[in-house]
Amino acid sequence: MSRDDASADAASRAVDATSRAADATASETGDSGAAASAPATGARGRPAAPYDVPPGATAFTCSRCGRPFARERHRDLHLGQVHAELDGDERAAYEAARDEEADDLRRFRIVSLGMLVALYFGFLFLYAVAG
Amino acid sequence: MDRHSRSARVVRRAVPLASAALAALASASRAAAHAGGVRSATRETVTVPTWLFLATGGAVVGASFLLASAVTDRAYIRRIDTWGRALPDAGRAARVLARGIGVAALLITVVAGLFGPVAPTENAAVLIVWVGWWAAFVLSAYLLGNAWPAVDPFRAIAGALPSLDRPYPERLGSWPATAGLLALVYLEVVTPMADDPRLLTGLVLAYLGVSVAGSVVFGADDWFVSADPVSRLLAAYGRVAPVARADDGGLRLRLPGMALTDAEWIDGRDDIGFVVAVVFVTTYDGFVGTAAWAGVARPLVEAGAPALLVYLLAMLVGYGLFLALYLVSARAARRTADTFLAPGELARRFAPSLLAIAAGYHLAHNLATALSLSPTLAVVLTSPLSPPATIPVLLVPGWVGGVGVAAVLGGHLLAVWVAHATAYDLFPDRLQAVRSQYGVTVAMVAYTMASLWIVSRPGGAPPFV
Repeated sequence: MSRDDASADAASRAVDATSRAADATASETGDSGAAASAPATGARGRPAAPYDVPPGATAFTCSRCGRPFARERHRDLHLGQVHAELDGDERAAYEAARDEEADDLRRFRIVSLGMLVALYFGFLFLYAVAG
Repeated sequence: MDRHSRSARVVRRAVPLASAALAALASASRAAAHAGGVRSATRETVTVPTWLFLATGGAVVGASFLLASAVTDRAYIRRIDTWGRALPDAGRAARVLARGIGVAALLITVVAGLFGPVAPTENAAVLIVWVGWWAAFVLSAYLLGNAWPAVDPFRAIAGALPSLDRPYPERLGSWPATAGLLALVYLEVVTPMADDPRLLTGLVLAYLGVSVAGSVVFGADDWFVSADPVSRLLAAYGRVAPVARADDGGLRLRLPGMALTDAEWIDGRDDIGFVVAVVFVTTYDGFVGTAAWAGVARPLVEAGAPALLVYLLAMLVGYGLFLALYLVSARAARRTADTFLAPGELARRFAPSLLAIAAGYHLAHNLATALSLSPTLAVVLTSPLSPPATIPVLLVPGWVGGVGVAAVLGGHLLAVWVAHATAYDLFPDRLQAVRSQYGVTVAMVAYTMASLWIVSRPGGAPPFV
């Protein structure tokens, strides 16, 4: 349990003062980032803030709810999905992140299609030989 | 707490009885062959080498992960997740009726168990517990909805007594329920509980005693919600079902398994431990019936180790392995998804998806029993203390075994989808959501292949006990 407390500390250290002030308002809107604002304080050792930022790691922190992210892109996407009323920069960052995400997804789809085809023909072959 | 091997034994006993009394000898022995259920059916139908059969099962799960990851529309995933209709609540009359049925079933179990015939297939206690409750009722808990809180005779009796209302020690969490579940399955494996109605009744009465004691000390709500293994087990299975209680208390119809994306009820490692125990116990019960287990246990028993200890060790080691595999695979998401979510939080959120797998196993192991012996149960119930001379056994067609294999795979496919929906709920980046599932998908492939292997082995009674 002390481990969890330590991780909660680490997370809150990563949060700057302004974001902590905005914490309360953000927890209302929490949705896909609901885990971020999960209000339940652990009845049985459940971490109050379910984050664990390794010491020395750079955290990109959401300015509204304080959720730490390992990549800027994750934070930008989170802002657009969970928090309403983005300012101009945030909106632009969100849209850029979405484009980048879409490109990566396309690449992943091609790879996964290739793997499906390989699985299919691999098993076709195996059944022909062994079945 | 799988009834497969034991009920197969029950049916094997039924065969000579039936064949002596009936001219329909042929059909009875064929029923016995089929009541062996999944194992015998897969033995008949699988003509490919075992490794290919297992690899195919694993590949189906892996491929379904790839297919699920092609669904990238957040709104669509959420729509599937949240689709639902409010259902009218069961009235007061239905609740009183359910309670009455529960208490009556317990009463018949105790009376018939103590004073009824000794042969297991003629004894109402054995049939009520293993066919009516463990096979059929549990099946209904994940296929329809969990009615156990309404039926639970232990709670009805314990709740009627005054309570000291001591606070339930929070730090124990779900561990008493986990230990209770493992203990019940252990007893089921090492004692002839399906063959001996008296012993079974003793256990039922002991369980009632523990329930009453727990409820008197801690209060019925705390005891049955946190520590009672049977209530916890059925509540866990009930989360796979389409009908469940919504947050506002009303009944709600959802798509099957979608309640599993909600992990609010999992509070910490103790609840994860319970979920893994639910998955583990069916595998354990199947595994100790295989020849491989006999091969492992024989040298130990011959070297003088007590068989009971060997079984206990196998259970603890196996459970530890299952739990470790799950925790490691959930933790792997920290790396693969590049996230700062705590390992405990990841394990917590993905844990409910395992229950779909557990439900698939349970169906695979118990459908044949439920079908073949339910007419037996019905006939014996007409006169529990002196059942009729001829007791029917339903002839279960061979394809029911195929339904079992399909259930194992279906459970895994549902689990893959639940993990997918959970990942989308957790991570803002969709590629991150896909990557976060690598670990749990590997664990699911491992579970699938292990359970298909057990299902494809010729089953038997556990040796040395």
